[in-house]
Amino acid sequence: MMQREILALGVNHRRAPVEIRERLALADDVMEDALRRLVDIPRIEEGAIISTCNRVEVLATSSDGDAAIEDLVDFLASTERIERSEITAHLSVFRGREAVRHVFRLASSLDSMVVGEPQILGQLKDAYTNAALAGTARTILHRCFHKSFNVAKRVRTETGVAGKAVSMSSVAVELTGKIFDHLEDKTAMLIGAGNTGELAARHLLARGIHSMIVTNRTHERALELAAEFRGTAVPFAELENYLPLADVVIGSTAADNFILTPAMVHAALQRRKYRLMFLVDMSVPRNFDPAINEIENVYLYDVDDLSGVAEINRDERGREATKAEAIVDEEVDSFCRWLSGLDAVPTIVALRNKAETIRQAELAKTLSSLRNMSESDRAALDAMTNAIVNKLLHAPITQLKQQGRREAIYFVAALRQLFEIEEPDES
Amino acid sequence: MSSLFLATALALYLLTTATFVAHVITGHDSLRRSALALLTGGFAMNAAALAVRGFLLGYEALAPFQEGLSIIGCLTVGLYLLIARRSNFTVVGALIAPLAFLFSLSAYAFEAGTRDLPLSAQSIWLPAHVAPAFAGYAIFTVAFCLSLTYLLQERQLKAKRRTDLFRRLPSLETLDTLNYRFVTWGFALFTVGLLTGSLLAKETWGEMWSWEPVQIWSVVTWLLYAVLLQARSVGWRGRRAATLTIVGFAILVASFLSVNLVFPGKHGGNFG
Repeated sequence: MMQREILALGVNHRRAPVEIRERLALADDVMEDALRRLVDIPRIEEGAIISTCNRVEVLATSSDGDAAIEDLVDFLASTERIERSEITAHLSVFRGREAVRHVFRLASSLDSMVVGEPQILGQLKDAYTNAALAGTARTILHRCFHKSFNVAKRVRTETGVAGKAVSMSSVAVELTGKIFDHLEDKTAMLIGAGNTGELAARHLLARGIHSMIVTNRTHERALELAAEFRGTAVPFAELENYLPLADVVIGSTAADNFILTPAMVHAALQRRKYRLMFLVDMSVPRNFDPAINEIENVYLYDVDDLSGVAEINRDERGREATKAEAIVDEEVDSFCRWLSGLDAVPTIVALRNKAETIRQAELAKTLSSLRNMSESDRAALDAMTNAIVNKLLHAPITQLKQQGRREAIYFVAALRQLFEIEEPDES
Repeated sequence: MSSLFLATALALYLLTTATFVAHVITGHDSLRRSALALLTGGFAMNAAALAVRGFLLGYEALAPFQEGLSIIGCLTVGLYLLIARRSNFTVVGALIAPLAFLFSLSAYAFEAGTRDLPLSAQSIWLPAHVAPAFAGYAIFTVAFCLSLTYLLQERQLKAKRRTDLFRRLPSLETLDTLNYRFVTWGFALFTVGLLTGSLLAKETWGEMWSWEPVQIWSVVTWLLYAVLLQARSVGWRGRRAATLTIVGFAILVASFLSVNLVFPGKHGGNFG
């Protein structure tokens, strides 16, 4: 029988450009459907999908890894109009132990564009919530996610990775400082209400930006954010009229088309007499036409460009990250021990061993106080206790053996918990 | 004596250049401080050389080309030292130092003995012409270096390159604003130099305008800087302003060289 394993497969910022990622990205409203289609694949048992602006990754469990990987690539290719070959060219695949390590590293923000950026943990929690609600994350992924959150916490408290962190949004602010001398007389415009954009706006406020204009398709949300930022909410339709006021423009919407075109920016630039503009596109799919960067005195950065700048800071955190990797290693070991114990046979053995140990211990205790028993009485007592144990264990063990492989793990997991069976060593 | 000072200044400018370049590459702050100390030393030596020479020859006898370049170099370095307190101006310094070296080198190479100034030129208008003109040149030289730095930073930002150089460059706005301020002041002084120059010309040559190469060149340069300042109000800022500043400086250098070396005319002939 093949070993059940966790598979993590998808595209991320390390190997796939934003052009690929944006086509694979899944919006929240189609997530549930996608999750169901994922676990409908016969070889896939559990599934979860992580879709952020830096990665679209599928997490699954299967007992037939090789074939399941092919299924998962097909699954990715089916969600959007994209060629299978285009995906495979940029695909990252992790299996078994490596997949677990990958998830733990994700949660600890060791694989983020900017190492230590805590945002990914929240996104991972969202992915878990979605999968748990859809019922596609069960015993294994459930534990995998929870473990990963614990690992993240350990890394955060035991190493300096998170302490030194510079998020993608603060990279954007750092770049603002390479264009503008001071922010006290500058105006920023926030388009959309995405998390990253909101974070960048917060950073700009902290750096003393003079004023903030907020716009959003849902005007109520814009009003909320404007109130929070002590800014001004403007109707989304009026975007173009307010654009000339903005020195810094942050795009963070869920739109899948370009909200800002070169023509719009050019018009705004003319009205502001070609004073410098810094545009930060924090959305995937991108919101600002990349051609805008060609315009004189306008600088456009998308998430990939930000990651490039982020790389500068990466080296400085190398040492802390090494410590974090050691923690991850430790936790991966422990998780894999648990996972390998989920097979029925070792559990049955462990259960029998545990019962036998208890029986022997209790028997020895009793016999030591009954010194004048004959050999045959002792043998009868031994046989009786043996029978009790066997009869008690017979039903659960039979059940365990009769269950199909797919369901057995839930019994195994329950049994291990109920009887407090130790996780076996990895041997 | 003045040659010794000038030679020391030359050596110090060369060392400063190397130290600035080393700082830009490695980012060590100690190198930045050393470079500034070396540059200050070079500035002092340069000024001492000029003072000694002026003392020996009479200050009004300082020749426009030989000592002129040295004076401009010295003023340029002095101006830079005023703005250099900003830690991220080392790239500008790495451009200023070699220019100061070149200025002083030509002054050193062309250093002539004493000469007599024609009596006709010994007018109160001479210092009134030379002082603002040289100050203007020095300011335009710094503006030129700021503009080069601007274009460097602008290219880095557009290309999204992430070199160590990028981290050590000042912000575009800083460079652009400072450049604007320098060009404004340079233009004002240049204008004064032009006006007093024509008054001097009237006194020595008999007429304010005589189609001298230096006059034509100067007016061309003046017009270009006038356009540069005017165009700013209609949006020629940033990259275009930097490019125009560089073009203006190129014309300035061309006019200076051609007037003093190629077509001396009355201006260069009489004073050089």
